[in-house]
Amino acid sequence: MGKIKVASIWCEGCSGCHMSFLDMDERLVELINKGLEINATPITDLKVPDEDTDVGIIEGAVATNHHEEEVKMMRERCKFIVALGDCAVFGGIPTMRNYFSKEELLERGYITTESTVEGKIPTSEEIGKHLPKTKAVNEVIKVDFYIPGCPPSADAIYYVLREVLEGRVPKLEGELLKYE
Amino acid sequence: MEKIRIRVNGNEVEVSPDKTVLQVLKELGIHVPVLCHYEPLMPQGSCRICVIEDRGVLKTACTTPVEPNMDIKTDTPSVINSRKLVLKLLFSERNHYCMYCEVTGECELQDLGYEFGLDHFEFPTYERRFPVDNSHDFIMIDHNRCVLCRRCVRACSEIAGHYVLGEMERGIDTMIIADMNLPLGSSSCVSCGLCAQVCPTGTIIDKRASYLGRELQSDIIYSNCDLCPVGCGLEIYKKKGANFIIKIYGDWNSDVSYGVLCKVGRFLSLYDNKERVKGIRLKDEFGYRRIHEDDLLSLIKSKLNNAIAYVDGSLFNEELELIRELFKDKVYSIYPTESPIPTNINLKDLDNGSFFVVIGVDLNREYGTVGSFVKRNVIGKKAKLMVVDKGFNSLAKIADYVFNIKDLGLALDILKKEKEIIVIYKSLSKDEGKILESLSNARFLHLPLETNTVGLQKLRIKHDKVSAENVFIFGRNLEGIRDLPIENSFTLIFTPYENNQLYKGDVIVGVNDGFEREGTFYNLEGKKLRKEKVLKPAYDVIDLKTFLSYVLGKTEKVS
Repeated sequence: MGKIKVASIWCEGCSGCHMSFLDMDERLVELINKGLEINATPITDLKVPDEDTDVGIIEGAVATNHHEEEVKMMRERCKFIVALGDCAVFGGIPTMRNYFSKEELLERGYITTESTVEGKIPTSEEIGKHLPKTKAVNEVIKVDFYIPGCPPSADAIYYVLREVLEGRVPKLEGELLKYE
Repeated sequence: MEKIRIRVNGNEVEVSPDKTVLQVLKELGIHVPVLCHYEPLMPQGSCRICVIEDRGVLKTACTTPVEPNMDIKTDTPSVINSRKLVLKLLFSERNHYCMYCEVTGECELQDLGYEFGLDHFEFPTYERRFPVDNSHDFIMIDHNRCVLCRRCVRACSEIAGHYVLGEMERGIDTMIIADMNLPLGSSSCVSCGLCAQVCPTGTIIDKRASYLGRELQSDIIYSNCDLCPVGCGLEIYKKKGANFIIKIYGDWNSDVSYGVLCKVGRFLSLYDNKERVKGIRLKDEFGYRRIHEDDLLSLIKSKLNNAIAYVDGSLFNEELELIRELFKDKVYSIYPTESPIPTNINLKDLDNGSFFVVIGVDLNREYGTVGSFVKRNVIGKKAKLMVVDKGFNSLAKIADYVFNIKDLGLALDILKKEKEIIVIYKSLSKDEGKILESLSNARFLHLPLETNTVGLQKLRIKHDKVSAENVFIFGRNLEGIRDLPIENSFTLIFTPYENNQLYKGDVIVGVNDGFEREGTFYNLEGKKLRKEKVLKPAYDVIDLKTFLSYVLGKTEKVS
């Protein structure tokens, strides 16, 4: 049982899946004791995972060109990619915007929202640009394992990481496989 | 019938030849997943989830009859892979993302996804946006969720007989439509709601039931509807630990309605917002004032001499019997109770009818379940229909013959030539009754005015207008007391709903109604049916049965 280096990123999602990850509570310590090494994640606030990362966990759908780059970087640097949560697996709630044009979307988000007084669509070059369509991660890169759920239960995440740590291929079934 | 021998997963079995493969496998306890198949509907075999392998060929279990020498295999890789591929394709067509769907948690497509362990969409999705039809009062159709199983289309025609839903276009462009692609709200839909009951996904949704709770969170109570004399079987979903009903389904096992319901039974009973009579009110020189139940009891005891009772057909047998005991033969019905020609046919026999005569009643508007039985035979099985009415009747458009009631004599010539006819009527004049009784080939179904009219008949309670010193009135529908000679009487009214005739009462007592009440009644066929108590009364009202038995000294305490 060797060490397993895990990294995660957070694309177009609500961070609920990372909350579920933290929801493993003391089982997280158990996993670390078993050899889990947490590398670049939104939790550790490191942006770029090491090149020899074993498991890359992706939360959220791919909505902008930034997400696309990050996801591709994960694929290059990680041996095993896990799509975590409905947005990464299916596209999820962010794909609701696929029914509208980009212009409608930005206007609704930044100008006509009820709580907005004088709205302005941000134009900074540093902000990611929306892709024509919000996509599930497997439409951009090859995904090795899927954990659906909104959010997936801490039990499901724990089960998958434990199986990987113990050198088995996980298989989600029963209560662990949920679409909602 | 002689049994045939087939092989199922390598084992020899003997089965009857008049069954489909799916039925046989079900009897053998072998699970076969289905989606478009729904037991009471004709099998169609369009979704291909139920495929099995027979001698190397994939066949749909739901539509394939068993035949000798079959070698059925249900778990070969080709069967599993075919089912899985179909499921993946179904999930990729339209929007089957569960998170923001109303039925998530009791969706048959979702269950199949779990069963086959689908953990992602293999094919790209979310390409097309389909319309959402929110034009109907009770039902919403979200075409984005549709899997085109046509259960709704089949239920609407085969079972409910309305023939409103259909489909247009082909393949991936197929759309479920109402009439000639009208919004459901402006179509000829009569709101029976069966389509929402059979829909496997979140496409056809009962608007009121949305987000109120899942089947797992409900107590399911089987009861009979007491809103008209048909007495359809209800499957009531009451939220566990709460005092409200999520939804009402038609009970497929009911031997009255066989799953059919009408707008009234499924929806209107839950949308009821009529003003209730609360507490006990006594009239004095200053108007009405609330009095206590004990005061009411002593008042009643002092008024029982020289008293008569008026009842309506909303009362259950138990209540009527107690009233009978209290007032002996001085009990009268507010409304007429007689059947001009006695009923001599069961609702079930309507399905064997070849010629229907409907007199003076629009079955799309009232007695909807009888309407479904007639329509599914007239439109679906080409039975003949004659409509006889005074004015507009929406059944006329599917009728073979339409007569004005004045010309009943002319219609008789046609009726005499038929082998067997079924006459369905609501009320008849004496002459009309005589004309129809002369038909030797006719069987009759009387649609009584009120729920328990037949119960009133059995207790020999007759419609009459009698006056007395003290008058007790019991009932839900009090429009009829307008004509009663009760001006100079001391009047006590026991009713659940406020009514503009209530000013005639010297004492007005609120009683429970609807799902707060239990009891038995006789439906139009004369079957004794039971209405179950589902909810606790949310108002300060009395239970008539408990109260009357207390007055009679049968029970100790009034709850």
